Amino acid sequence: MISLKNLSVSVGEKKILKNINFNFEKNKVYALMGPNGSGKSTLASIIVGHPSYTVEEGKIFFENDDITELDVDERAKKGIFLSFQQPLSLSGVTVFQLLRLALSGKKDPLKVKEEIDFYAKKLKIKKELIERSLNDGASGGEKKKLEVLQAALLEPKFLILDEVDTGVDVDALKTIALFLDEFKKDKTVLIITHYYRILKYLQPDYVMVMIDGEIKKVGDKTLAEKIEKEGYEVIS
Amino acid sequence: MSDDLVFDYRYGFKVPENYVFKSRKGLDKKLVAEISYIKKEPKWMTQFRLNAYDVFVKKQMPNWGADLTAINFDDIYYYIKPTDNTVSSWEDLPKEIKETYDRIGVPEAEKNFLAGVSAQYESEVVYKSIQKELDKIGVVFLDMDSGLREHPEIVRKYFGKLVPPADNKFAALNSAVWSGGSFLYVPKGVKVTLPLQAYFRINAERFGQFERTLIIAEEGSYVHYIEGCLLAGEKIITDQGIKNIEAIKPKDFVFTHQGRYEKVKAVMIRKYQGEIYKITPLSALNSITLTKEHPVLAIKREKVLTKRKPRNSWLPEVNTKRLIQEKPEFIPVSELKKGDFVIFPKIKDDSKKINFEFSDEEMELIGFYLAEGSAYYHKQLNQYVVTFSFSSKEKENIKKVIDLIEKIINKKANLQIIKEKNEARIQVYSKTLYDLLVENCYRHSDEKKLSELVLNQKKEKLEKLFWAYFKGDGNLSIKKNSSGSKSYLYRLSTASSILAYQIQMILNNLGIFASLRLRKGGEDKILDRNIKRKDQYIISFTKPKKWSEIRETEDYFIVPIKKIEKEFYQGEVFNLEVKNDNSYLAKGIALHNCTAPIYTTSSLHSAVVEIFVKKGARVRYTTVQNWSHNVYNLVTKRAKVEEEGVMEWIDCNIGSYVTMKYPSCVLTGRGARGEVLSIAYAAKNQHQDAGAKMLHLAPETSSRIISKSISRDGGRTSYRGLVYVAPNAKNSKVYVSCDAMLIDERSRSDTYPTMKIKNRQVEVQHEATVEKIGEEKLFYLQSRGIKKAEAEGLLVNGFIEPVTKEIPLEYTVELNRLINLEMEGSVG
Repeated sequence: MISLKNLSVSVGEKKILKNINFNFEKNKVYALMGPNGSGKSTLASIIVGHPSYTVEEGKIFFENDDITELDVDERAKKGIFLSFQQPLSLSGVTVFQLLRLALSGKKDPLKVKEEIDFYAKKLKIKKELIERSLNDGASGGEKKKLEVLQAALLEPKFLILDEVDTGVDVDALKTIALFLDEFKKDKTVLIITHYYRILKYLQPDYVMVMIDGEIKKVGDKTLAEKIEKEGYEVIS
Repeated sequence: MSDDLVFDYRYGFKVPENYVFKSRKGLDKKLVAEISYIKKEPKWMTQFRLNAYDVFVKKQMPNWGADLTAINFDDIYYYIKPTDNTVSSWEDLPKEIKETYDRIGVPEAEKNFLAGVSAQYESEVVYKSIQKELDKIGVVFLDMDSGLREHPEIVRKYFGKLVPPADNKFAALNSAVWSGGSFLYVPKGVKVTLPLQAYFRINAERFGQFERTLIIAEEGSYVHYIEGCLLAGEKIITDQGIKNIEAIKPKDFVFTHQGRYEKVKAVMIRKYQGEIYKITPLSALNSITLTKEHPVLAIKREKVLTKRKPRNSWLPEVNTKRLIQEKPEFIPVSELKKGDFVIFPKIKDDSKKINFEFSDEEMELIGFYLAEGSAYYHKQLNQYVVTFSFSSKEKENIKKVIDLIEKIINKKANLQIIKEKNEARIQVYSKTLYDLLVENCYRHSDEKKLSELVLNQKKEKLEKLFWAYFKGDGNLSIKKNSSGSKSYLYRLSTASSILAYQIQMILNNLGIFASLRLRKGGEDKILDRNIKRKDQYIISFTKPKKWSEIRETEDYFIVPIKKIEKEFYQGEVFNLEVKNDNSYLAKGIALHNCTAPIYTTSSLHSAVVEIFVKKGARVRYTTVQNWSHNVYNLVTKRAKVEEEGVMEWIDCNIGSYVTMKYPSCVLTGRGARGEVLSIAYAAKNQHQDAGAKMLHLAPETSSRIISKSISRDGGRTSYRGLVYVAPNAKNSKVYVSCDAMLIDERSRSDTYPTMKIKNRQVEVQHEATVEKIGEEKLFYLQSRGIKKAEAEGLLVNGFIEPVTKEIPLEYTVELNRLINLEMEGSVG
């Protein structure tokens, strides 16, 4: 699905990812764990194509196409989606306006509307929130739900969830996790998290551990349990 | 010399018989007098112009605000007589303007207007019918020249009283050479709910660069702007078959009243609250629902009657010959009655894009398939199966289908007779046939529909398809008429609503008007068995045509309206803007489309707008300015608001080279309220110096100014505002909010707010922000698959949303679209 070849990434002068080689297999669920500042979000950003990060070396492939130089929106059109760690609020722009534009030519506006209502109900998002400017006055959990709702409409092939479980209360986490568990079918999913709790629902096929910009270890889900109990020392 | 001329004119200016006015550049007293002479104005107006000219000459250029030094007053045409208009065609316009308007779609009518080609166009009809409504309630809505001619006493009382020539150099210039503009008088207590739009005014009368507008709203009156749109769910004919209006996208092709496909320029959605009308023509399923002012191509029954008196309670009889000869007009739906006629344009072969031809056999088989076919993939056998089921009595059809299959795929189909069911089943394994049928008509009976490829076949081919379909599914009943002659009623039914409309389209193509109605499904009992019946769509037509209620011309069918219902609606409505023909067909009925903005090619636009809002009256004045980028747009707008009156200015400036415009409210009566909502957008080489003026001269007055400006690509916006609260204006309220958005580092925004508050009992609120369009926000939107330029447009439109939500739809859409275009244009 996505493969990273000798990937080194910097922001400004600082090198953040160091020579990463990894292949994400189709329709598998990956969990990416690691201490703060280890480069997890950078990895997400570089796959999506954030302009502040520079690829120093290496390449990113999506379904065998080299996407290293591709614009953000074109990557998204290919089926890459990032659920942001800290979603921004957009004044005057509703989630409908955003998705109508993003899906123009693919889905009728009315269908977009219907689907938004459908998923909002499923994700237990308040109606006012949908009608308001995106993320305007939304709580942490509500913001994450709105991210997941966008994913549901955009139907990506590769879904990155950057700390979809932080700043979220227990009920919201359960709603999101149960939804994602159903949604993950036929998709490749990369969950970036510090906690084991969401992985209980989502059952990753692989757990990757990133430390200092390198993938230090890859294992099955027991690795996540181990980290939860004993911390990252277990890796070294 | 020029003084002599004035003297002469005042006492009967001696003009040679063959006097011809010649348009010329530059301004002098003689020209001012000539303008007044040509317009046959009263003497006081001539004098007013001449005095204003003197003021103009003496007045200094404003030494503040935008840079106006490059204006060359000698290089401007101040008056062009309509008959020798120098621009003779659309092609002569500046390329930039043409492109912009081609992209956003200016109605042909306005193109013609602009080009000085005074053609006959449909909107004039709309204008006239609105004019009639206004006459009834005593509202005067004229171009300013006619206003002066027909209502000299009112004009004299108000003209130049709020913006006297001495106000500023450009007001003086306008006063000297004004031409065109609007005169609107609303009598006491009259609330105008009809759409009063500049669009109608333009079509009625020339629009100039020195136009003058005077609005008088008498005590307790009300004027505002609205426009017409369709409800969701309406079926529109496009080159890809029939679609719901909400599913139509810009660049789709829709069928117009001219019987051809034209490109959709824009799709508009807005919230609507008010009356809607449902018109049901003879063909019940072709009923459409519209907002009340939406123009429909129609013929009024009263215009085509016979001389005979109506019998019993019947509708008066129609003279068929006159009906056929009468030219259909666009009439607002609210003016149509039962018995009037709507127009179903005929679909002709030359409007189709035929890029592939099916064989006759294929078309016929498709017809049979629509009636009796099904197709599926047999997993175990790994075979594609196509099946036709007939009653075993339909020998002819059975033979025909087997024949057709053999001709198409050169393979003998298997025939199986199921005796106990009296069923004959024709079955064949063929991927080719499966693909042909499934790709062009889908699989199950209630979702069957024809592909675009099939619908775009030539008439002769469609004929093959239709009659095959009819043989399979249709029935024919013969009726003897009183005169002994026979008429034939052809009937078909299908569970697929789309197919029903498509068959109606095909029949239209074959020159037959078929009507559609619905037979509701439900529980039913047949031979003691409970069955559930699906909704059935019934397609029917009568032959010979004289027994039908439908009349036709070469180009369209004329169909009587059977019912008109009115109801209250709250929700979203849709409309389309269509290139060239300005119309589209909703369920086959021709409708007029939306409106578009004002523009000119001149390099100096200097208008004056004066509005008198009397006690308890309310006026809203909306402008979306998109002048070409070489225009100095220097406009004086002022309203006087009396006790409890309300004045709302909504002012959006996108185009022009330089704009200086500060709509003002002079609040003279207790409790008067003024509001200015403004948007300024400045791109490369543009300076928008805009703002507002609020003068509180009475107690308990309130004002609100909301200004939003956007600068990009080196453009500059300035907010310049003055709020004055007089010593006596106790307990007044002032609210000022100005927000600026900068798209890049090179652009500039300044704020010059001035507040002169002369008493202490005033509530003042002032907010100002400057923000940069955030990289992170752009990244966020792009990560959803939105292009950078579109993302910027979305953010900018979000930024101005507090203002745009107050604006009537056509302007909002226009504005959003223009801004999106500007964004698009500036990238790459």
